[in-house]
Amino acid sequence: MEEDKISDAILVLRCQKRDESAFQELVNRWEPRLYYYLRRVVESDSAVWDVLQETWLAVFQHIRKLENPRKFPAWLYQIAHNKTVSMLRKEIKYVQITDEQMSNYCENNFVFCYDIEQVEAIHELLTKLKLAHREVITLYFLEGFSISEMAQIIGVSEGTVKSRLYYAKHKLHELLKGAKNV
Amino acid sequence: MSEQKNKIEFIKNLIAQDPPPADKQLRHNEALLKKIKRRMLLVKAVIIVIYMVLYFVAFGAFMLQNYTDNVVHSICWGTASLHILLWSFVYIQRGNCMNMEELIEKMLDNDEKRRNKNQNLFITIVAIMAFVFSSFLLCRSFFLTNNLKAVQTSVSILWSTIFFLIFYPFRTASLIGILWFEYKKMELNINNSSDGSA
Repeated sequence: MEEDKISDAILVLRCQKRDESAFQELVNRWEPRLYYYLRRVVESDSAVWDVLQETWLAVFQHIRKLENPRKFPAWLYQIAHNKTVSMLRKEIKYVQITDEQMSNYCENNFVFCYDIEQVEAIHELLTKLKLAHREVITLYFLEGFSISEMAQIIGVSEGTVKSRLYYAKHKLHELLKGAKNV
Repeated sequence: MSEQKNKIEFIKNLIAQDPPPADKQLRHNEALLKKIKRRMLLVKAVIIVIYMVLYFVAFGAFMLQNYTDNVVHSICWGTASLHILLWSFVYIQRGNCMNMEELIEKMLDNDEKRRNKNQNLFITIVAIMAFVFSSFLLCRSFFLTNNLKAVQTSVSILWSTIFFLIFYPFRTASLIGILWFEYKKMELNINNSSDGSA
C-alpha cells in the first residue's frame, strides 16, 4: 500500500516534468478506480467516458500546480467530482442534501468491516442509495479518504460528509440485513 | 495487517465488479493520448513561433543598423537587436531556473517555500522593470542628436541584460548543486540503513 503511494508520487513528479510515459502509467493505474467511482455517480456509460476524458485532460493540464504529490488521489477525485457535477448540472440531477443536523452524533456509529464475501452484495446495493450518499460511500470504500478529504473532494462541509456517510452506511447496513433475510 | 490485506482485497474485488470494458478503455486511452500530444505540440509550436518572430525582429533591427546613414540610429538599431536577442536568452535561462526550483520546492517546508516564492517574485519584478526601463531608454535614445550620449545609453542598457544573463545560469547551477548534495545525503542514508539492517 505504502509502496504504491510512493510510486504514485514519483509518477506524479515525472508527470509534472511533462513525462508522457509516466502520465500513461498513471492513467492505467487509476482508471479502473476512477471508472468505478464515476459509474456510481453518472448513469449513462458514454457520459462516464466523457467525464473520464475531461478529468484526465484537466489532470494533465494542471498537474504542475499540485504541490504535494502525495495528495494526488484526493486531487484526482476532486477534479472528477467537479467534472461530474458540471455535467450533471446540465441534466439537473445533482441534488444537494442539507441534513447537517445529524453530523454531531453520527460519527463512526457503524464501523464497516471489509468483508470480501459481501463485495457482490454491496456492489449491487450501492445502486439503491441516493446519488449523494452513493458518492460518499464509494469514495469511502475505494480510497478510505478521511472526512476532511471527502469534504474537499465534494466541496461541502465536513458535517455534511459525516451525515451523508452515516445515512449511506445506515441504509447499506439495512439493505444488507434485508438481503440476508431474503 | 490482515485487516489491511482484507481491505486491499475488498477494493480489488469491488472494482472487479464493474471494470472498464477493455476495448473501450483502449480506445479512450488512445484518444486521450492523441489529444494530449496535440496539445503539447500546439504549445511547442506557439513557443517556436514566438521565438522565430523575436529572432526575425532582432535580425530586422540588425539589418536596419547596416542600412541607416544616421550614426545615432545605427547605434540604436544595433543595440535594439542585441536587446531583443539577449532578453530572449534571459527568458530561456529563467525557464531552466524555474524548472530546477520546482524540484527544490518539494523538499522545503511551507515557510521556506513562501520565502523562496517571494524571492523569485522579487527577482522577476526587478527583471521586468529592468526590461521596461531599458526599452524606454532605448526608445528615447533614438531621438538623441549626441553620438556620445547614444553610445553611453546603449552600453548601460546592455549591462542590465548581461547581469540577468549571468545571474540565472549561476542560480540554476547553485540549485543543481543543492539537488546533488541532497541526492548524496539520501544515498548515504540508504547505505547506512541497509548496513544497519544487515
